[in-house]
Amino acid sequence: MTAPESGRRAGYAALLVLALAVIAPASGDAYFLNLLLLMLIFIIFASSWNLLALSGQGSLGHAAFFGIGAYASTLIAVKAGLPPLIALPLGGAAAAGVGILIGLTCVRLKEWFLAMVTFGFAIITQTLVVSVLAPVTGGWDGIASPRLVPAAISGSSLIEYYSILCIAALSILAIHALMNSRIGLAFAAIRENETEARASGVDPVRYRLLGFAASAFLAGIAGALEIYHFGYVTPDIFGIDISFLPVIYSIFGGLGTLAGPVIGTVILTIVSEGLLDFGLTFQRFIVIGLVLILVVIFLPRGLVSLPDEVRKRWKSRKKSEGALQEQAK
Amino acid sequence: MVQVDILLQIVFWGLYAGCIYLLLATGLNLIFGVMKIVNFAHGEFLMLGAYVTAAIFAVTGINPYAVILLTMLVIVSIGGVVERLCFRPILGTGKLNEIFLSIGLIYVFENVAALVWSDRWQSIQSPYSGISIPVGPVAIPIDYLIIMVLTTAILAGLYLFLERTQMGMAVRATSQNRRGAMLVGIDVERMDMLSFGIGSALAAAAGTLWVVSGQVFNPYMGSIPAIKAFAIIILGGLGSIPGAIIGGLLYGLAENATAFLIGGPWKDAVSFIVLIIVLIIRPRGLFGEAEE
Repeated sequence: MTAPESGRRAGYAALLVLALAVIAPASGDAYFLNLLLLMLIFIIFASSWNLLALSGQGSLGHAAFFGIGAYASTLIAVKAGLPPLIALPLGGAAAAGVGILIGLTCVRLKEWFLAMVTFGFAIITQTLVVSVLAPVTGGWDGIASPRLVPAAISGSSLIEYYSILCIAALSILAIHALMNSRIGLAFAAIRENETEARASGVDPVRYRLLGFAASAFLAGIAGALEIYHFGYVTPDIFGIDISFLPVIYSIFGGLGTLAGPVIGTVILTIVSEGLLDFGLTFQRFIVIGLVLILVVIFLPRGLVSLPDEVRKRWKSRKKSEGALQEQAK
Repeated sequence: MVQVDILLQIVFWGLYAGCIYLLLATGLNLIFGVMKIVNFAHGEFLMLGAYVTAAIFAVTGINPYAVILLTMLVIVSIGGVVERLCFRPILGTGKLNEIFLSIGLIYVFENVAALVWSDRWQSIQSPYSGISIPVGPVAIPIDYLIIMVLTTAILAGLYLFLERTQMGMAVRATSQNRRGAMLVGIDVERMDMLSFGIGSALAAAAGTLWVVSGQVFNPYMGSIPAIKAFAIIILGGLGSIPGAIIGGLLYGLAENATAFLIGGPWKDAVSFIVLIIVLIIRPRGLFGEAEE
């Protein structure tokens, strides 16, 4: 299979998924619509984490950006009286600003150290929100936030769903465009070999900061969308689980690929919600944990690499069978 | 003006917290020294240690301090299995894989514990919970003193094992030079399993000390202390056991001083702020090797 052909195939698959997402609300099931909507939000969130990974960095504290986006856009909407749709990118921008600050402290750090520092930042942010910033943020009690689409409008949940679908599609298109631009090339260069990248004139610090800012922006948008949907934000949004989920979704689907976070989010959300329906509250997390361990050990490039792996296995088996037949002759 | 009684209280509570941190950090560092990996799920062994101790105590009613060795024995075997099944296959495939694998382990252990023991906060009472010893103007619970003595005994045991036994020497040899150890006929994979098991058991001992002091515990208690233990070994030097011990004690003291001086909510945040400042200045840790 040649590269353009596989690209075209992936394009068709993406269109198919998009078409399914567009017609899905026709089922008219409110629970299903709600699930799809949260799935879309987490697709944006997981893709934002994946974008950071593409720039050769990792984060165990992405909840910081998710939460900052949520709080900032809520506060902007409430205090300045702006409509949520305008407060949304502003919240993302606030997260991006903090992302650059965190990125600045992290530019020299790698692997475990980077993981530690980003994890620490999520905890520090939560502490700030419940202590110093409590008069504005409401402390542990949290604050009410406006809806993306006022509930009074008829069909508000459908409008909300399609708005979020548009934002999710735009985010993925933006990441796709970014990865196919010079910036994406620079990301890849830094990821593979930083010294060589520097030697060929790529400034790693600039691109790392760019990676942090872009990733934090999208994570902030995702956080704001979730909070607009629930109508309430509490400091629990900075929790460890929120930081781990995008990591798990991206790795399960396939780290560093455009489709990976989407596939990971969709499948794991369905599995998790399905198990919850059977009343398996804790078991579903055990399943997710086990799946993650198995993927890391046996399928390190994630679910998207499964067809390739199967083909490779099949081919090598055929080859060895062929060799056996040769020997028999 | 800092009063003497507050100062003494900070020191004793800090040393007590430090004992738990130093056991965690020493275990983590022992594993790092031999295998050159960081198990971010290390705190789950603290949690398991706490539950195993509480469970044995609930069933038999034996003095919970006496259960510490039994608890460690249980966790040695669990740790060995985790090493064999999860960490060995990904050894040498990159540091990110360790982190991802650890996240999976955290999910599995936390929720298995929640399934077995429910996710409520629990606590048990030490047989000596009412007794305290006056030291100057403050009364120190006798439990804290027992914990400090026990921690010292465990460290002494670890020291004797590493310095005086054939197997301990093999562990040290593997940690210093893996290939060299292999060449002189040491089964390094067995050393991996052994050090992972012992490291996990040290975390479990910390878990026992956690519950006997009357602190509450639940299945999700492990992740934050584990991250702190990692912060301690970054500050104290990756692979250095004395660094982990001193770092652990200092960390406990600093944390309690913060809680007294600035306020409880800042306890976790301040430790990370210190860590971040240190890493900005020295990206490989205070005693880490120079950047390649």
